[in-house]
Amino acid sequence: MPRAIWSGAISFGLVNIPVEVFPAIRDTAIHFHQLHKTDMGRVKYKKVCSLDGQELGSDDIVRGYETGRDEYVIVEDEELTKLDPARSETIEIHDFVDLSSIDPIYFDRPYYLVPERNGAKAYHLLRKAMEEAGKIAIASFIMRQRGYLVAIRPLESALLLETLHFSPQVVTIEELGGLGAGADVASKELKLAQQLIGSLTGAFEPERYHNEYEEKVRSLVESKTNGEEVTTDAPVVRQKQKVLDLKAALEQSLKAAAEGRKSAKALPAKTTQAVTATKKPAAKSATVKSAAVAKKTATKTATKKPVAGKPAAKKTATKSAAKAKR
Amino acid sequence: MPAGRAATSQDERQVAITNPDKVLFPETGFTKGDVVAYYRAIAPIILPHIADRPITLIRYPDGVEKEFFYAKRCPPSHPTWMPTLRVPTESDRPLDYCIVNEEAALAYVANLAGIELHVMLYRRHAITTPTLVVFDLDPGEGMSLVDCCAIGLELRQILKQLGLECFPKSSGKKGLHLYIPLNTPGITFEDTKSFAHAMAELMEEQFPDRVTSLMRKTLRKGKIFIDWSQNDDHKTTVAPYSLRAQAHPMVSMPLTWREVSTAAKSGEASGLLFDAPTALKRVKKRGDLFAEVLTLEQSLPKLGAD
Repeated sequence: MPRAIWSGAISFGLVNIPVEVFPAIRDTAIHFHQLHKTDMGRVKYKKVCSLDGQELGSDDIVRGYETGRDEYVIVEDEELTKLDPARSETIEIHDFVDLSSIDPIYFDRPYYLVPERNGAKAYHLLRKAMEEAGKIAIASFIMRQRGYLVAIRPLESALLLETLHFSPQVVTIEELGGLGAGADVASKELKLAQQLIGSLTGAFEPERYHNEYEEKVRSLVESKTNGEEVTTDAPVVRQKQKVLDLKAALEQSLKAAAEGRKSAKALPAKTTQAVTATKKPAAKSATVKSAAVAKKTATKTATKKPVAGKPAAKKTATKSAAKAKR
Repeated sequence: MPAGRAATSQDERQVAITNPDKVLFPETGFTKGDVVAYYRAIAPIILPHIADRPITLIRYPDGVEKEFFYAKRCPPSHPTWMPTLRVPTESDRPLDYCIVNEEAALAYVANLAGIELHVMLYRRHAITTPTLVVFDLDPGEGMSLVDCCAIGLELRQILKQLGLECFPKSSGKKGLHLYIPLNTPGITFEDTKSFAHAMAELMEEQFPDRVTSLMRKTLRKGKIFIDWSQNDDHKTTVAPYSLRAQAHPMVSMPLTWREVSTAAKSGEASGLLFDAPTALKRVKKRGDLFAEVLTLEQSLPKLGAD
């Protein structure tokens, strides 16, 4: 159940209808956090002065309105607080108008009005009367220190409050600088276009349309959360399979190496492997010179790379193989 | 070094060193001039490891305690004699990376307060060929460099059984890096990445209470995270001998396996930690312990039917 964000009363004439305001739109967007790639730390923003690079706290910051290049008038918090509209408890209805007289461009955000206490009767009376008259109410109210112009209209069994844009906010068509010639159209073409529209006409069924991108992102996130790898991207799957195959082969190869070593140990150490291993010098200090040596021995001991390492490998190999079995 | 501007030259190359007295490591008073001096002194040793590799600088213009940023794009004002490499990125805009092939170029990037040098795993003439495989052993909460050493030794043994030599270096922070030199044409990042990934999963299977191959930080607690994912054609790893932006000017230092095993046995990691002055002393005495990383030719094992 959503939470009410405002409570008060619709007021018109001598009537007061106690109501609460609930958001009618929920945020379905998927939000991500920014993380530091290497350690998954959350990314924070710091406020920094562009002149001296100093990090600033809220006490260091004032509001400036830019009046010219690098010229500002400073406006204090208190000065703005003084302008805050007094908190009002009412949604004041000014007029009733035809719904069709408000172009949808003016609608901003819808909220539900829900009757409170003993307001239900008056609430439904108002709704029904508006519905039958085909009118909607234009009203104003104050929420969170801001004055809103709103429309109140019936929607099924409820009343909807829609915040409206003030007219300076709406960009006019004149401001666009022309929409091209061709405003006068031939009647024949018009008829054809109308036919086409007629053939495609249906009712608006919002359930039919999906936000496909968001659904994909959501299922991607969900599959990752459940520990599955992502299945939408073929290369990723291939890569994962390759890693699995490779790991199995690595295990196989390590097992074989361990077993080979065991049987070699059972027989007196006479295998050529053991001989070449003990024969090699213990190249320990890795300077440029010893690097050259290592490179030479590496290519000499076997025709195929990779190459078994130095004597140390022999001594410790059985130990770690045993550990590997745990 | 005098305040203001100083110059360092190599042949005809001039690099202006600005604000050499600016302290970049407040705890020790290590200045930008000191950073430049360190990189110039270590140049003969570090250059073979970073040469011809696109470089990402982690720049700390106001020192290690302040804001930093990853500078991938070579500044447009870079010296004309310094090459760059245009690298395609995941988004569609390619980036021109600096290529640091000489002492003067090192001085230039150090002067940008580029304290940390992170390089690609390929060289510019073969951009699809990684020259090595890197494992970044990163201790989760409650784990330490000593624990990384113990796991590093286990990983080394398994690699040995596969016929692969690997070389350890300290990350300069809390981790341990293992490099498997390849230096073999034809190896692709797909090969190295899947190999590293498979190895990390194998380690996780064998040491389930000590190792994780998963990046998620919550899963790392009490474990060593074996980061295999750096084996990627657009990822960089901190170069051997690079400084790290710690309270002290620590160095990502090549180690011997004996040092790693001593640390694992004694539980004492202090022998693996080097700051700029001790790093220079060590290199003078022992040379480049990572020389074989540049030369040793190895291939990844051929396993099963590909």
